[in-house]
Amino acid sequence: MDFENAKAQMRKGVLEFCILSILSRGDAYATDILNRLKESELIVVEGTLYPLLSRQKNAGLLSYRWEESTQGPPRKYYALTDKGREVLKELESSWHELIDAVDSILKK
Amino acid sequence: MKKTFSVNLGDRVYNIDEDAYLKLKEYLDRIEGYFSDQHERGEIISDIELRISELFAERLGMNKQVVTRNDVEEVIAIMGDPREISGVEDEPRSSREKRTGPRRIFRDPDDRMIAGVCSGLGAYMGIDPVIMRILFVLFLIFGVGFLVYIILWIVVPEARTTAQKLEMRGDPVNTSNIGNFFREEFDSVRKSFRRKKK
Repeated sequence: MDFENAKAQMRKGVLEFCILSILSRGDAYATDILNRLKESELIVVEGTLYPLLSRQKNAGLLSYRWEESTQGPPRKYYALTDKGREVLKELESSWHELIDAVDSILKK
Repeated sequence: MKKTFSVNLGDRVYNIDEDAYLKLKEYLDRIEGYFSDQHERGEIISDIELRISELFAERLGMNKQVVTRNDVEEVIAIMGDPREISGVEDEPRSSREKRTGPRRIFRDPDDRMIAGVCSGLGAYMGIDPVIMRILFVLFLIFGVGFLVYIILWIVVPEARTTAQKLEMRGDPVNTSNIGNFFREEFDSVRKSFRRKKK
């Protein structure tokens, strides 16, 4: 059994959920999202975020716009689309179901 | 004194030391190798370049105007290993597959035990030369291997020129590949020189 792979898959699923959740509280650019994910130690290396953002954008969950920055290169601000909001709602409910289900097994 | 390049990352220009440039280029190329979808790859690379640009901007100021190898190493540590970035477990499109030019059989004089027949055949078929050699030794045990080897030695020409060596590996012969080839050669000579010095 490849447990590393299972762990990585689990983390990736949770990360996608968290990205949507962060963006539901307001538009953000990649570094904002990274800082929040790093605070809660969900992400170790930054690079893993970009393929996820790209995939979510291509799936129509996110949109983006460019904004100039005074300190560095222009920033790509991401926002949730309507579809993104729907998916987030679904994910939230299945997340809670999952936690309850796993809890009930662990506690037995 | 070091030579510097200027690079455009996320629409900003940075001066970067030559060794730092090579390191960064190699890193970005490796990331690229992990993504097969062209559209997705372009977007991810440009997002990553944007972030690297931001990290460089944080490191530069009035007293520091050039990106050094050290900066690049720090940034790579922050961004992470290309394999982790891609999130895939399998190997990237390997260098063997990427070599798309027509192949020709040559003997490889740079990697040989006797005359370079096995490594040349290996390069042609995309098989590790060690496996070719083991197959040949097995042939030898069953009698025909020796003769086959001698015939191939006579029939197959040795790859003498750079263009022939590229053709042997299936790399298209163009100026940038010849440049790459010389860089690889130079690196390997330098490494073996260092080893000898020790």
